[in-house]
Amino acid sequence: MKPFMDNQTPLSCRINVTPIIDVAMVLVITLLITAPMIARSDIEIDLPQTQTRSVEDEARVAVTLGTDGRVAVEDQIVPASELASALHQRLSQPGNENLLVVVRADAGMPYRAVREAMSVVRTAGAKRIAFATRLRAGEER
Amino acid sequence: MSDINSHRIELGGIFEVNVTPLVDVSLTLVCILLLSSPLAFESSLTVKKSAVSTAVVEERTEEDRIELRVFSEDSVGVNETTVARRDLRETLVPLLEASATRLVVVECDDEVTHGAFVDVLDHAKIAGAMEIAVVGR
Repeated sequence: MKPFMDNQTPLSCRINVTPIIDVAMVLVITLLITAPMIARSDIEIDLPQTQTRSVEDEARVAVTLGTDGRVAVEDQIVPASELASALHQRLSQPGNENLLVVVRADAGMPYRAVREAMSVVRTAGAKRIAFATRLRAGEER
Repeated sequence: MSDINSHRIELGGIFEVNVTPLVDVSLTLVCILLLSSPLAFESSLTVKKSAVSTAVVEERTEEDRIELRVFSEDSVGVNETTVARRDLRETLVPLLEASATRLVVVECDDEVTHGAFVDVLDHAKIAGAMEIAVVGR
C-alpha cells in the first residue's frame, strides 16, 4: 500500500489567507461605496409609499423627523431647536449651496409637523427640498 | 531533469480550480445585498424649490396652474371642486393635458397625515405634472 505522504513531500504549514483578504477587500470597497448612502439616522420611521420617484444618485442631506419628536440631520440626532443651525452649517459649506434636502417623515405623522420642519429647512437656506418615499414593489413609473 | 518529472508524476497534481475564494466573495456580496436591499427602495419626490411660500407661485397666472387642497385623508379639492382621493388621478389627467405649464400647487390641512399628502403628490406626478409646488403658511 502506498503511504499517504512520503517523507519527500514538503508540508505546507502556512495558513492560506487569500480568501480572508478577498472578503476583507470586498467589504472595504462595498462600505466605501455605500457609506454616503446609509448615513442616515436610526430613528425608525415608516416612509410613505409611492409609485414614482424623481431624485436618485444625487448628493443630499437627510432630515429625519421621528414620531416621538426627535429630529436628526443625517445620522446625528439634534434638538429640534437646533435643526436650523445644524442644517445651515452643512449648507454653508463650499459646494453645498444647492444641496438637496430630503425630509424623511413617518407616513402617519400629521402634516403640521412636516410643514413646520419644511419652514425651518427653508430658513436654514435650503433651495431644493424633497420628501423621502418608499417605492411600492413592482409599481415603479 | 528526468528525476524531477518522475517525481511530479508520482506526487500527482491538483488540477481543480480553487473556487473557495470565489464562493467566499459571492456569499459576502449576497449577505451585503440582503442587508442593504431595504435601503435601496428608499426614494424621494422633489417639490418645487422655494415652494413653501405663496409668493413664488403667485407669479404664475391662475390659468397656468392647478390648485389642489388636501382637506382630509379621503377628499381633495381640485380647483373649485372636491373629489375623492382615489379619483384624483382621473380628474387631474384632462386638466394637466390642457395646461401649458403643467404646474400643480398643493396645499394641505394640518391634520392630514403626511402619507396622504405624499400620496396626492404621487397622484399628481403620475397624472403628468411637470412641477409640483407646496404652499405653506
